[in-house]
Parts: sequence; C-alpha cells; structure tokens
Amino acid sequence: MADGKGNDAGANAAEKTKPTLALVAESVKGCADCLHEKLAGSGAELIYFPTLVDLDCLQRDLIRPLSQASPEQLNSLLSGAPYRTATDLKSCAKSIMDGAAAVFAGQDVYLFDAPKSTGRKIEQSETETIITGPHDGFVEALEENLGVIRKRIRSPKLKSVALEVGEVAKTRAILLYVEGLANEQFVTMLTDRIQDIEIDGVSDANMLVQLIDENPNSLFPQYLTTERPDAVVSKLLGGRIAVILDGSPSVFSAPTAFLEFFSSPDDYYQRWPIGTALRILRLIGFLITICFTAFYVSVTTFHYEMIPHTMLLNLAESRSRVPFPPLIEALLMETTIELLREAGARLPTKIGQTIGIVGGIVIGQAAVQAGFTSNILIIAVAISAIASFVIPSYIMSASLRLIRFGLIVLAGILGNLGLIFGIGFLVVHMAGVTNLGTSYLTPIAPAKFMDILDTLVRGPFWALKKRPSLSRSPNKTRAKIKR
Amino acid sequence: MKEKLNGFHVALLIFMIELDVTVFMLPRMVAVQIGTNGWLGFLGLSLIAAFNIWLYRLVYRAGQGRSVFDISEAVLPKIVLYPLYASLSLLWLGIGAFAGKSFVLVFQTLSFQTSPPMQIFAVYCLLVYALLAKDLYSIVKASTVFFLLSIWMLVLAPYFFKDWSIHRFTAFFFHGTENGHSLSGMLDVYAVFIGYELCVFLFPFSDAKTKLFKGVFAGHAIITATYLLTILVSFGFFSFEEVKILQFPLIHTLEYIEMPFINRVENLVFPFFLFSNLVTTVMFAFAARSALGRMLPGVEAKRFALPLAAAVFALGFLPSVFREAAALIRLTYFTETCVAFILPLLLLILIKIGGKTSKEASSR
Repeated sequence: MADGKGNDAGANAAEKTKPTLALVAESVKGCADCLHEKLAGSGAELIYFPTLVDLDCLQRDLIRPLSQASPEQLNSLLSGAPYRTATDLKSCAKSIMDGAAAVFAGQDVYLFDAPKSTGRKIEQSETETIITGPHDGFVEALEENLGVIRKRIRSPKLKSVALEVGEVAKTRAILLYVEGLANEQFVTMLTDRIQDIEIDGVSDANMLVQLIDENPNSLFPQYLTTERPDAVVSKLLGGRIAVILDGSPSVFSAPTAFLEFFSSPDDYYQRWPIGTALRILRLIGFLITICFTAFYVSVTTFHYEMIPHTMLLNLAESRSRVPFPPLIEALLMETTIELLREAGARLPTKIGQTIGIVGGIVIGQAAVQAGFTSNILIIAVAISAIASFVIPSYIMSASLRLIRFGLIVLAGILGNLGLIFGIGFLVVHMAGVTNLGTSYLTPIAPAKFMDILDTLVRGPFWALKKRPSLSRSPNKTRAKIKR
Repeated sequence: MKEKLNGFHVALLIFMIELDVTVFMLPRMVAVQIGTNGWLGFLGLSLIAAFNIWLYRLVYRAGQGRSVFDISEAVLPKIVLYPLYASLSLLWLGIGAFAGKSFVLVFQTLSFQTSPPMQIFAVYCLLVYALLAKDLYSIVKASTVFFLLSIWMLVLAPYFFKDWSIHRFTAFFFHGTENGHSLSGMLDVYAVFIGYELCVFLFPFSDAKTKLFKGVFAGHAIITATYLLTILVSFGFFSFEEVKILQFPLIHTLEYIEMPFINRVENLVFPFFLFSNLVTTVMFAFAARSALGRMLPGVEAKRFALPLAAAVFALGFLPSVFREAAALIRLTYFTETCVAFILPLLLLILIKIGGKTSKEASSR
C-alpha cells in the first residue's frame, strides 16, 4: 500500500486545515506541469494544471476578467458562481487535480472549475460489434459514458453515487442504479465493496471487478463488463447496478449469472425466434469450445469403436503419419491456435492479417503434409476456435478457452470418463460461485422458469413481463404487454 | 441473502441420490427376484418406500422441523448417541464408497480393462472432496445441474420402440424367479430406492414454505417412473430369460444404439451416470459429515471434507473386483434399509418421550 496510517492521519489533518497559497503550493511542489502565476491587474495568484484545465475557458472566464479588475473588486467578483470558495486544503488540492484553478485573493481561496475533456469521443466499440442496433460504444471519459446513459434513461430516478478508487490514483467511479428498480441491499453491498478496496490504483473496470468479486480464484468472470451503452441501460432497467470507472471504456453490471455472458444486445433487435436461435447457437458454441477437441482426443485414444466404419478409415490413414499420441497432437495444435490468436491481437491490424494468412497455411495443409497433425484434428481445433469467438464476452471466451486445455488433458488420461469428470469439476466449481450473494448458475440452479425465457432463449416481449429474479428488484413487473 | 432449499430442488436431489450404480442391474434383479411382470411388484416396493418417506414426514411434523440430532439429544445421553453417530457415519461412508467404486469398476470393465481402478477412483474422490467442501446449498445447486446432465438419457428410450414387443411380457405374474420369493430377494430390489432417507438431514434447511416433503415424494415418484421405464424397456426388448442372465441389462440396451455419425453410444452415455453416483456418494458423506460435526462441534464443516473424501477413498480399497463391490453394496444397502425404517420409528418415540419430559418439567 502506498498510503499508510501516517498518511491517513495527514489526510484527516488536511481536511481541517484552511487552504493558503503557501500550503497549496507546497502540496503541488515538484509537479513541473503545474502552473503558478500572478495576474497583472488584480494581483490574484492562480495555481492550476494546464494539462487538466480547458485553457480557452480559463482564459475567457477567469484570467481575462481578473486581469481587468482592480484588487478591490477581486473578492466581490469571485464571491458568486461560477467561482466557489475552497474550505479546506484537502478538497482544494483534489479540485485542482480534477481540473479546477485555485485563485488566491488575499487570505481567501476560490476555485474555478474548468476541466478539460480529454480522450476520444463516443465511437463504435471494437470488441463488441453488432449488426443491428445502436453502434455507439463507451469511451475512456467518465462524463461521456455517464452522458450516453443519462440520454437513454431520462429520469431523475437514475441515481448515481460518486466513488473513488485507489489510494494514490483516486480514480473516479460512478455507481448507477434506478431507484425503485434496484435492490437497495445490493447497492449498499457494492458501494461498500468498492469503498473498501485498498490498492494504489485501478486502471480498468475489468481490473476493478477482480478486486470486488467473491471468488477471486475462479476462472470465470463474475461481473458482466460491456462497452455497449444499450446493454448497460438494459441491465439498469432490469434492476441491476452499473459502475463506470473513469479511464475505462468498460462498464460493469451486477448481479450477474453465467448464462448472461452468452446474450448480446442484438438478440433483442432481432425477431424473437431469431434471437432464440442465436442464443442456442452460442450455447452450442460453448459446448463445442470446451468439449470438441477433448472428445477427439478421447475417441482417438480410448474409444476407436465409437467412430463409424466409413470415417474410421480416413481417420486411421490420417493419424498413421502422425508421430505423437492424440493428447500431445491436440495440445500442440491448440497452443498453435492460441499463439496465432494472441499474435493477431497484439499486432497492428495490417500486420495482423499477415499472421492470419501464415497461420492458415502453416496449421492447414502444410502441417498435415508434414505429418505433424491429422486433418480431422485441424477441423476439430478450427471449429473449437471459431466456436469460442461466438461468445459475445471476450473475457468469458478467454476463460473457456483455457478450461478447454484442462478437459483435453483429462480426456487424454481417462477418455470419455475424463471428459465427464472435467465437466463435473466445472459444475461443482460453478455451484460455489456467487455474485453479490446470488447464484452464478441462475436460472438453472436455483431454477427460475420465467428467467429461462430471457437467458437460455430470447422470449417474445409479451412473455418477458418480469424483471430477472437475479436482481431481486422490489418492482418485479417490467412490462404489461398484451399478446 | 441465503437461497432456500425449495421443494423442486429437493425433488431433483432425492432423484439423484436414489439413482446410483444399482440401476445397471435393476431389470435383472426384478426378473430374478420378482419374476415375470416384475414391474408390478416393483411398483409395490416403491409404495413401501413412499410409506417410509411418510414416516419421515411424521417425524418432521411431530418434531416441528427440528434436526434429527436435536430430537435425539433432547432425550438420550451423548454417551449412547456418539457411538451410534460414529457407526452410522461409517455405514454412510461405506455406502458412498462402494457405490462410487462399483461405478468405477463397471466403467473399467467396459473401457479401461488395463487401468488400475483405484487411479480412476482417486479422481472420483477428488470430485467428492470438491463438492463436500461446499455448503448444502451449493451441493444442491450442483446436483440440479447434474440432474439435467443425466435426465436427457430418457430421450434414448424411444430408440428401442421398434424392436420392443409387448409379447415378451407374458400374461403371467411373478413367475420364473430363481429361488422363489424371499425377503432378502425383495430387499435386493428395494436397495435401488435407498437414499430417500437422507431427507432427514434436510430438515434444518427447510421451513413450511419450502414444501420439503412434496419435494421428497416428487423425487421418489420421478425416480420410480424412470426405473419403471428402464424395467419396461429391458423386459420388452430382451426376453425374460435373457434379462435374468445379463449382468447389466441397462448397459446392454445402450449398446444396441447406433447412429450414423457415432457408434457404440454407451461409451459416451455411460459416463454420464457418474453424476448420479457422485451425488449419492456426496450426500451419504454429507450425512456422515453432519453426524461427525455433531460430535465435534468446534470443527468447521468444511474441514471434514478432506478426511471424509480420504475415508471414502480408503474404503474403496476393500472391493477390488465388481463381485466384491456388489457383495459389499448388498450388505451396506441391507443395513441402510433397516436404518431407514428404524430411524423414523425411533425418532417418533423420542419425540413422544421428549414431549412428556418437557411437559413434566414444565408442570414441576
């Protein structure tokens, strides 16, 4: 920890200390980018960070009027909006760091808020692209993200709680919920958890969620993070809580269950049978991702009798040239695919395409011809990889890809039984995972039949009348649509 | 914000506890011990089990939902109860271990003839440990998913309709048994129901709203229907005499299934029985954990998981071939059947004595 008890005591003292020019100047001492200047006309002194303030605004609304004023006019000029009086040293220093300019007029200290809007403007999310529906995605600026949500829920019932994360970085976070729809206990629980984090700094929402989840050693993500405002709005209206972290384009919502990671906002923009088919397709993708290569290993190692005669000849012929046992062969190929994926993700887009071509040739025909692998395994590995990308959440997809390796090893040791053992371990693990005290396996266990209509399938809107039971909303009715 | 153990999940849990390795032999047992049209006699045995469940319901009502330990300890001294708890714990661990080991031995016979069964059983015990280290709510959640991963097998039943014939049932009832009808023979068949009595350990996790016994009865009804389907499929698919000589008629029926893209489906289907056997082992170990927890109240429940899983593993060394495992299953299941009937009667007597004692105390 960067801050110890001594610093806490210092912070408490700072809360009571009246700010003076000397004290504020001392607190920003050593910051080369901090500007301390004295205005000509009025003689007022300013302390601010040019990198954090909107210089045009500062020039127009602060520097110019104060330069033209006399020292006698200074206090009357600064006494009303948009200027405010700094009451203590701590809040004064914090305001400067938030983009305010501190104005020193005699013994009094005033603050002028002119935060600079930095970073990119709202644009499409690169990790969660959709075909139909709104294309805007969150960006790194908290205000921008909050704005797009407020624009969509134009109600004062959308409440926001301002929080700070990181003892040193003091990153701003906003917890959002709709009053009357969200469970107040969950709001308190999540607020407390975020406030209790003791760490120097948090750079992304995906990092923040790992500091507040109940099962930190689990492979599975326990909070749903998204870059899509429409997804967050849907969660908020479902009675859930969302948290925006400044500097992160991901917003997370809670409580969350496993099956939520398989739904995408476009499911609601399609006709419901199509949306349902897509959800089922993703669940099939999930099964293929974790089991298909493992099943290949199991069958080719222990259960050759399961392969139909016609296919057996091709497989035997292809396998006969491979010097490795199926387990090693599969692990090699899966690792190669992961290497390609990781290289593709790290490289610039233009070079990334080259990796795709090289990978396609290397793990395609050349690997088979060299006797490095069988062509059926290539099909299995490729289908598994494609299936993993069907899952809308990248974090969940990455978890499942890692789990696949475990199942491959178990299948290589114990065949089909090993595969089933692996699934057993997964289920047992997931049964113990909770999110804000709710079951990760909802709506399967505990079984909530109405929720199944909006998780395993995407039911028609007239059937989705209740809010998800997972949110434990005090207002359960979501819609009153007649058929 | 704890989840409640509602009736629906109790039903699935009871189903999963009752479904274990004995189902593989069930049609043969019914044919050998009850005879032709044994399914009817099997239904009679299911009703006896339902009566036994009703006795537990009486205990639940008379004891006002108190746990079995609270009822006993209110009347009997700990010096009498603790040896009983220890003996029952050993019995329950034995049942869990032998059911699990039998499953492993059957699988070994099918697919891993050269592998040491204890290695496979060690993985099984790891899974037992992983589940036993969790609280009952998590065990029930896992068993709900395991139920879904097991119940789909019923979809395979229509596959046999083409070669299934009602003529194989004959018009005679209860003929053709090997040694006539005997109590031990009936107990052999009755053993498939063993597991419902563990509902007694669910008392502290339920209240009037959760409809515990509706769930127990429903679970028993679903498992009876499933067993009945298994018996009817085997009796109508094989001849009566053939069912009598097949060691595992259920597995033999699965062997018949052949699909265009996959052969020998039993290799894929059979491992799914792991889940029901696992729930059986875990819930009997959970019963042992509850009893031992009563004897050692200072020890956290999770701390029992490792020694209990190790005990299950150690007991697994006793049978080395399926014949030995089957004999041990027979012995332990017979004992457990006796326990299943004696326990509610004993508890009812204790509740009555406990009630009188408290009345006398209050009148004094």
